Amino acid sequence: MKRQVPIVLCFLTGAFVVVAFFIGHPLVVDLNEKLDELLIIVTAFALVLGVVSFAQHHTKKIQRKQKDWRNSIVSLTSLGLMAFLGLFESMLKSGAVIGDRPAFDWLFTYAFTPLQATMFSLLAFMIASAAFRAFRIKNVEAAVLMIAAVIVMLGRVPIGQYILPHSLEISEWIMNNPNLAAQRGILIGAALGAASMAIRVILGIERPYMGGAGD
Amino acid sequence: MDDAQKIGGIDKRWVYILVAVGALIPILMPMGLPVKTTPAVEQLFDRMESFEPGQVVMVSFDYGPSSAPELDPMADAVLRHCFVKGLRVVVISLFPLGGDNQAKQALYKVAEEFPVVEGEDYVYLGYKDGGLAVLRRMAEDISIVFPKDTRGVEYSEIPLLQDVWNYSDIEISVSLSTGIIGEWWAILVNAQFGQPVGVGATAVSAPKYYAYLKAGQMVGLMGGMKGGAEYEVLLGNAYPELKSRSNVAIKGMDVQSIVHLIIIAFILMGNLVYLFSRSERKRAGGRLGSQ
Amino acid sequence: MALSSFAGIWLAAFLTLAIYSFLYKDNPVYRLAESIFVGVSLGYEIGLVFYRTIWPNLVERLLADPGPNWYLAIGGILGIMLYCRYIPKVSFLGRWALAVYIGYFVGVELMQRLHGDVLPQVRDTMLPLSSLSSVTFENLLIIVGVLSVLIYFYFSKPHTGILKPVSRIGVYFIMICFGASFGYTIMARISLLIGRLTFLVEGWVKPMIALISGSG
Repeated sequence: MKRQVPIVLCFLTGAFVVVAFFIGHPLVVDLNEKLDELLIIVTAFALVLGVVSFAQHHTKKIQRKQKDWRNSIVSLTSLGLMAFLGLFESMLKSGAVIGDRPAFDWLFTYAFTPLQATMFSLLAFMIASAAFRAFRIKNVEAAVLMIAAVIVMLGRVPIGQYILPHSLEISEWIMNNPNLAAQRGILIGAALGAASMAIRVILGIERPYMGGAGD
Repeated sequence: MDDAQKIGGIDKRWVYILVAVGALIPILMPMGLPVKTTPAVEQLFDRMESFEPGQVVMVSFDYGPSSAPELDPMADAVLRHCFVKGLRVVVISLFPLGGDNQAKQALYKVAEEFPVVEGEDYVYLGYKDGGLAVLRRMAEDISIVFPKDTRGVEYSEIPLLQDVWNYSDIEISVSLSTGIIGEWWAILVNAQFGQPVGVGATAVSAPKYYAYLKAGQMVGLMGGMKGGAEYEVLLGNAYPELKSRSNVAIKGMDVQSIVHLIIIAFILMGNLVYLFSRSERKRAGGRLGSQ
Repeated sequence: MALSSFAGIWLAAFLTLAIYSFLYKDNPVYRLAESIFVGVSLGYEIGLVFYRTIWPNLVERLLADPGPNWYLAIGGILGIMLYCRYIPKVSFLGRWALAVYIGYFVGVELMQRLHGDVLPQVRDTMLPLSSLSSVTFENLLIIVGVLSVLIYFYFSKPHTGILKPVSRIGVYFIMICFGASFGYTIMARISLLIGRLTFLVEGWVKPMIALISGSG
């Protein structure tokens, strides 16, 4: 029973969404819309699902004084502070849930933004280093890749036209023809793959929701 | 170790320093290189330009700080374009990691530059979880998904939204997106509900989106900082009074130019080193073989 | 400059430099910033999810008009059930909620991929080849490219006979596409660097110099 119910639930929900796509009956449309609203709510709960695991992991680390346990305190404190402000700042300030959160916004602007943006910007250095160390023309395919890359790189920046005349036009042509053709081929293939995987999940052949318990 | 191998084994921190210096110089001393426009961006600009004052545009902030330097200039330019033309703007966000604050910051900053009133000329409905579910539900009734704006005003009491209930009341939706969200607008909102969609995408996503653009699933496409810079150029040409404000991406293209050249030089140098050391090895192998 | 902005700019500058210190080598300051990053990101989500979705779309609507909105409670119950996975005795309830969640999204995915991806893309590949012009050449290029790439990714049959040269052509198209994507990725990464360096120069150093020199 415990194993069959999720399979049935997944089938019913997935199959309904597919069937509703083709049926315009008011009852089906209404139910479909209600399902959308429910899933907006369920997704909200699902998005913070990882917080519990995160808190458990770091609490254990602190209790056992494992390596870098002090950083776990920092993580949990940051999490707690940000969550507290997000949940209660407006209520404490004006008594309303929807309202201004100046401290929350301040932390977003001066902590969240620089941290996230800088973390991702490290990739600029990494990719430059990789270009120097790993981008080797070892065969014809690699040569084609490199030529396309260099033309597109020159074509996308203003200085490119001074170094390689018509680089903008050539790179536009590459983007709109061979690139487009390959992207489209990959897109169609991936979409068919995703669709077949979706059918397998709906039919209960694949059961990602079991988490290994019912496979 | 021969010279080529020595160059090839150079400490990567030297590479980092070169990139950082190459990026810093144009920031400190802008070069003002001219940015040429391309049809992908022109199509979007022209469509926006074709609207009459009072028509409604939806702008979705589907990105966070991790891609803000690419997408912020696009967002600013599109919002300025809407306000300067007197279009009504409905702003939402679908990106959980910072999209909400990103939208708020950009919208209120740009709105301050124009004589526009919140609730009448523009409205921020906030972030919503659910992605595809949100996009599906908005096809029938936006007010169910966003019962209030971020000030806490009921949807039905917001003057701007009195005649805006679903996609059919909106001329175009512009998604400024990172990751897969821009794609959702094309494959769901455009394909299923027929809503014209314009996308400002990160440069990582842009090559893929050319397929959607060509298939007519996107009205126009701004790809990465270059796309933003092109929109700024078009906006500046059409509305010279905005030229001095809308130029962040144009300035950024100077830096892009220099660092692109540095990286191309790295690629060429790396390959020269590789070819040289390979021929050295071959020669050494030949000598060993003949001994 | 307001004190909060002043403190904020210094905090942002410190955190930016702390992350960049990793480029020299892994160090405690970087790990501290990294820990703050993880905590702040998750904490941000908790607040956001609550006041942007759970409150207005569930709680407020239920409180305002429970009669017609009763069904929303199912969403709330399913959402809470997701957390049952952390309680061993009732962890199976978590799987039930997850099954509904996954069932819905794979259903949507199935239709959107077929209706929104495959059909329009296939339709737009049926291009005219009737005249002798550069457009026809480009159309032919796209048709050949799409088909050869699809064949390259078709693994159900060995790439022998006619499939071999066709899939080889596909490889070259893919290489051009990857090259173009690489070029674009470089632009994306540099954009992020520009953002941070611009902040350090325009948002931190210059205002501080102006402040010290008395013009701020």
